[in-house]
Amino acid sequence: MTTNTDPGLDRLDQREGLDRLDQRGGGRDDEGTRGAWLVVMKREIVVRALNKTFLVGLLVSVAIIAALAAFMAWQGSKTDSFTVAVPAGDAAATAAVESAAAIPEEQGGGAELTALEVPDDAAARAALADGDADGWLHPGAGGWVLTGQADPDSALTRLLTAGVAEQTLDANAEAAGTTTAELTAGGTLSTDRVDGDAVDPQTLFFASFALALLFFIGALGSGQMIAGSVVEEKQSRLVEIMATAVPLRHLLAGKILGSSVVALAQNVVFAAVGLAALSFTPTASILPSLSTSLVWFVLFFAVGFLGLAALYAVAGALASRTEDLQHTTTPMTMAIMGVYFLTFSASGTFETVLSYVPVANVVSMPVRVLSGDAAWWEPIVSLLILAAFAVVALLVSERAYRGALLQTGGRIGWRSALRTAG
Amino acid sequence: MDNDSLEVRGLTRTFGDLTAVDDVSFVAPAGLLTGFVGGNGAGKTTTMRMIMGVLAPTAGEVRFGGDPVTRADRRAFGYMPEERGLYPKQPVLDQLVYLARLRGIAAPRARAEVLDMLDRLGLAGRSKEHVEKLSLGNQQRVQIVAALMGTPRLLVLDEPFSGLDPAAVDGMVDLLAEHTARGVPVLFSSHQLDLVERLCERLVILKSGRVMADGAPADLQSTGALRHRLVAGGDAGWVRGVPGVHAVDVDGPVALLEVADDAALQRLLATGLERGGVRELTPVRPTLAQIYREVTA
Repeated sequence: MTTNTDPGLDRLDQREGLDRLDQRGGGRDDEGTRGAWLVVMKREIVVRALNKTFLVGLLVSVAIIAALAAFMAWQGSKTDSFTVAVPAGDAAATAAVESAAAIPEEQGGGAELTALEVPDDAAARAALADGDADGWLHPGAGGWVLTGQADPDSALTRLLTAGVAEQTLDANAEAAGTTTAELTAGGTLSTDRVDGDAVDPQTLFFASFALALLFFIGALGSGQMIAGSVVEEKQSRLVEIMATAVPLRHLLAGKILGSSVVALAQNVVFAAVGLAALSFTPTASILPSLSTSLVWFVLFFAVGFLGLAALYAVAGALASRTEDLQHTTTPMTMAIMGVYFLTFSASGTFETVLSYVPVANVVSMPVRVLSGDAAWWEPIVSLLILAAFAVVALLVSERAYRGALLQTGGRIGWRSALRTAG
Repeated sequence: MDNDSLEVRGLTRTFGDLTAVDDVSFVAPAGLLTGFVGGNGAGKTTTMRMIMGVLAPTAGEVRFGGDPVTRADRRAFGYMPEERGLYPKQPVLDQLVYLARLRGIAAPRARAEVLDMLDRLGLAGRSKEHVEKLSLGNQQRVQIVAALMGTPRLLVLDEPFSGLDPAAVDGMVDLLAEHTARGVPVLFSSHQLDLVERLCERLVILKSGRVMADGAPADLQSTGALRHRLVAGGDAGWVRGVPGVHAVDVDGPVALLEVADDAALQRLLATGLERGGVRELTPVRPTLAQIYREVTA
């Protein structure tokens, strides 16, 4: 029998009972319960990792990422080829097709164009109808006409517009006794930037979309998991057995850490698969800057998810049965959906603001890092703000969780939960 | 005070305007099986939750071994809550070992102990099955194992026998007897009064949050009015005329009687011999169910 001289129990009242019991146990009993959070954490991880639904979801997501990357690689590597019908003996038309074929890939060209000489209009139309030619380039009123069986291919139109312009410019220059090179000498504009490699807007949009999606899947999936696991224990009264064995904060800590590890591991897997797949695509040149951005994302996610997981645990404790979860987790779900939609569509000043607002900064700051828009200290300041949010969320949640977990009968409000915890 | 007894003093719990448990005091002595009896809403579960520290009392205290109970004490208590349920999708053995580890029992020891108890409750070979695959009765046995593992110093069991078949009840009784033999106090609630009467060395009857009776079943029974059953040679209607005898019920030759004193009893017997003989005259101890009805009426 442990000797106990604490006189406090005589004055226990409803408000402070549990909390005091927790603390009373804390000092003397530390050795027995010190590792309890670790036992809880391990179970959370093992149960989740062996969950079929989770594993199938993970595999499907990995397959989708790999397939997307494969599609992009195929898109990037394939060469367009066109056959263009030209009137037989029309040197200007042939020259226009040749200069269209000569446009380098960097300027939107890189396609194979073949000129097919046709004796007359009827033969040209027949070639279009048979599919032997993709377009028919012929002189028209004051210029050129590109005829297709239906509307001509847009890429072909773009290429030939440039080809025809160049050929016409060459011809007119020659007639004026000069050359195109002389006429356009010194008239080019190219761009340059001091801070290194540029990431084009399309890639940036794709990256911010991917990060927002990673955040959405990770936060929502793992958040729901922790809420579900809390209410499962509450509904079955398992928590009453556990509450007598270990302080409730150990239970909470184990759950938060366990689900954070799973959520983080999932995101690391997705990011690694994505990066590996991207390295086979033409966008491989942005891999270094994308990797830096992803490291920030993982860091931000780890810190931000601690806070979110704590809030989700409270959402689980506020419910009395699984059916209540949808109601108690609504504010969290709305916030995460909001972050998802706002961050991948945000730009300019709005994006800069978001990159400092928890938890939107989990997505927005890494995107700004990727665009090269953020100064070196900006992600650090933003991360500190996020950490402050996580600490406040953890402290408030710890109290609300203790207050709500052992109350039964219907849904419990935040206020009642915080008051009961004393 | 016995060193390892549970004592509840003036325990009270209110929920808003409702007083669920009202100044409840009793002792569950070391080494004895104490039955906790009362109708629905009598406050049994609320009292047990306060004993286990799951619910904070509005007033009063719980003492164990003479001192206010601590968290360290409670870690060594075995508890079976009112509603059943474990992790539905986890194998039986895994989750029992998990619960044991939370109570500070090393994994190998927990494993051996759990397997042994599952065996004794007829669940050997089911240890790898998911709990949701078991019948309700078997799920209950798993829950019992959860409460009994780790050599607890006190057992608080809320309706441990409900849903068990007679064989499982006997197995459970044997298990509990082992714990009381170690000097552990066992407090259990039940609706099955015949079972409580058969098992308990001590009884606490609760009604509307208050203790109506508390003591050994035999003591409680002697407080009820002592009755006699008489079987006469012919019709027993004559008993109504005997001074000092009150006929509770007369049915042909059989009469249930309240007899005021010994003189009245002698008068009854003498009259009976004149009126066709007495085949049988026996004192009737009221059953627990009768006592229960009386004290909670």
